[in-house]
Amino acid sequence: MDAAKLRLAHVGKRFQSGSAAATVAVDDFTLDVAQGEFLVIVGPSGCGKTTVLNMLAGLERPSSGTVSLDGREIVGPGPARGVMFQDYALFPWHTVRGNVGFGLRHGPPGYGLSSESRARRVRDCIELVGLNGAEDKYPHQLSGGMRQRVALARLMANEPEVLLMDEPLAALDAQTRLILQDELLRIWGQDSPASVRRTVVFITHAIDEAVFLADRIAVMTTNPGRLKALIDVPLPRPRNDATRASAEFQALSQHIWSLIRDEAYRATVT
Amino acid sequence: MSAATPTAQRTMPPTGANHATGWRARIGRGVALPLALLALWQALGMASHNVRMPVPTRVVAAAIELVRSGDLPMALVQSLSRVFAGFAVAAAVAIPLGLAMGSVRSIERNVDPVVESFRPIAAIAILPLAILWLGTGTAAAVLIVAYAAFFPIVINTVAGAREISPTLLRAAATMGLPRVRIIRTVVVPAAMPSIGVGLRIAMGVAWTAIVAAELAVGAKAGGGGSGGIGQMMFIFYAYSIELNRIIVCMIAVGLVALVLDRLLRGGMRLLMPWAGP
Repeated sequence: MDAAKLRLAHVGKRFQSGSAAATVAVDDFTLDVAQGEFLVIVGPSGCGKTTVLNMLAGLERPSSGTVSLDGREIVGPGPARGVMFQDYALFPWHTVRGNVGFGLRHGPPGYGLSSESRARRVRDCIELVGLNGAEDKYPHQLSGGMRQRVALARLMANEPEVLLMDEPLAALDAQTRLILQDELLRIWGQDSPASVRRTVVFITHAIDEAVFLADRIAVMTTNPGRLKALIDVPLPRPRNDATRASAEFQALSQHIWSLIRDEAYRATVT
Repeated sequence: MSAATPTAQRTMPPTGANHATGWRARIGRGVALPLALLALWQALGMASHNVRMPVPTRVVAAAIELVRSGDLPMALVQSLSRVFAGFAVAAAVAIPLGLAMGSVRSIERNVDPVVESFRPIAAIAILPLAILWLGTGTAAAVLIVAYAAFFPIVINTVAGAREISPTLLRAAATMGLPRVRIIRTVVVPAAMPSIGVGLRIAMGVAWTAIVAAELAVGAKAGGGGSGGIGQMMFIFYAYSIELNRIIVCMIAVGLVALVLDRLLRGGMRLLMPWAGP
């Protein structure tokens, strides 16, 4: 029996630039992500966490090892694995409504759907992220927090099985971040039973964010990018501000910080 | 007029002093030098005692005469139709080619050297070939306009297609869109502002080309029925040395080109409300 939704098996990624020796971005990375699990990958900048996510998305191929979804090898991007990007990746020529409905209108997520049911799903997703009233605005008319809400609505509208999130909150200010962390958990369905939740792989360099969101945290180490530790986060759900204030939350954050502090420090001086 | 411009922008009522000096300041800024130059031109022209010397008053008189007789509007319409035809041919070839070059590396590698080695060859330099192949009529003029307008459009389209944010392409790919679909739904709209710039530059270039082409075709045909503003200028030069009328033609070309540019800009703003003012 194979319970893993996503599986990274001895995955390595080398980048060859010119005649110089290849850079090893990711080395012998092995990790299973269960159906409905919220997995957060945390690590210092340059540790290869984005490369891992891109391989899950099918945007990059591993140099060695295999990446698979439900036991089938991932060979390219596909609508079953939706991606949310740090810089929002909204289409500037589409309004909020056009962006949220982009995949439904142009891609496989909309195949076989009537135009009414597409429109309904777009409306529902805009409501889900609280952007009612902004449907006809263009991205350049929105704040960073609103743009990321649009990106989240677009992701949900395509109903992917797996959500891959590449530091989606990193460009936002601290307060907007906290609010969107709460929203993210609500939309993921932290109030619903685990069986109906989607599988999430979320990248961040913020430890408190990782602890707040995750079922499990994969700590990565840099140069080469390796899996250093896997940490369960037994904090009860639903999580809220009380979670952030709890002693257990603080202790977990401290523990993870102690794992990457030395490398994070080195990254600031080299 | 942009509909998005908020009307309540001026919260402070203009003070009396600002209001009084407003028109003077505007004239001082915008019109003073042109008026001074016109006056200087008039003065120098009158001082020369040469009846052929063009001066502003005689140019205005010639303009009225040419408009009344219908010669100038007729010539402009003829030139305009050639500009539009050549411009349309250029856009129809250059935009798809530019998109292909900007999105597919191997196409760009092959086509770019060809484009770049033709680019320095002025449109007027292909005139002998155009006349030999197509005669001295409209077809040759259209070919020359198309040749001239092709380069700015293709170069700007390539730049627009190449400068697309890679995450937009990735976002579309992760939604499962096939590559061909991505070109239509992402590459084309993302390149549109650049294509618009190329079209505006090309429109200006098309005008310089049409005047040159018609002047030269006029020289070859010695008048004839091919018409257009350039040939009208040639006739004024070759048969009667009407300098005032030639200057009228120059100004007419400039004004028509200005109007076309404003129309193009307005059309693009309507087409691309996201691109800002």
